[in-house]
Amino acid sequence: MTNQNISLVKVRDTVLVTMPADPDDVTVTTFQEDVLGAMEKYRPKGLVLDISGVETFDSFFARTITETSRMVAMMGGQTVITGMHPSVAITATQLGLTLGGILTALTVDRALDLLAHPHPRRRLR
Amino acid sequence: MSDLTRGNVPIKSENDIVVARRVVRDVATQLCFGVTDVTRVITAASELARNVFLYAGEGVMRWCTFDRAGAVALELTFEDDGAGIPDIELAMKPGYSTSRGLGLGLPGAKRLMDEMEIHSEVGNGTTVTVRKWLRK
Repeated sequence: MTNQNISLVKVRDTVLVTMPADPDDVTVTTFQEDVLGAMEKYRPKGLVLDISGVETFDSFFARTITETSRMVAMMGGQTVITGMHPSVAITATQLGLTLGGILTALTVDRALDLLAHPHPRRRLR
Repeated sequence: MSDLTRGNVPIKSENDIVVARRVVRDVATQLCFGVTDVTRVITAASELARNVFLYAGEGVMRWCTFDRAGAVALELTFEDDGAGIPDIELAMKPGYSTSRGLGLGLPGAKRLMDEMEIHSEVGNGTTVTVRKWLRK
């Protein structure tokens, strides 16, 4: 079995999570529990999910991420996905995936800006 | 990299989905597919390998590369001895799923690849073959 670490760092009012390049299903499931645990522990305003290392964004991964962002929203937090590669964006769109209204940002910097000054029209549904 | 013409990956656990993705990445990269096509093929393989694990419990991914009239293709075949698909047309409908999934695996994989064939018989398993041609 592979043992892949999810990096999870608290930065001011935010929790920054970095996904490993090729996460197995167990890692993706663990990610959900880790993130919600961090929400309770650190009480951040939001969650920045950095997927710049991720090469395979399949339907299982997308489902876990949209579900997690909904759970984070239920707890009172905002999720921003950042760092998606062009090839991943092309593939995910052709596969038919949507991110169900999760905010996205090109860089971690912009994701932090977005959480600090949320745009009123771009709220999580 | 071992034999560059054919091989197979048994799919018996969730971790084998990762192994299948890695093998496909290596083969597609060595064939000189562009980064977007490599990502497409890996993602399609991930969906189809997960289907094998999810619906049949186990199976195998066979891969091969071949040449036809000077064009090079990567072919992936996913075989299982599971329950089979009663209605392939319905299974190809985006959003249709008999599990908790999004129902994007089969139709999505077809869009990501150039060709797809499904052979399935209720009680006799399923074989899904997909192909991607290398564009020059």
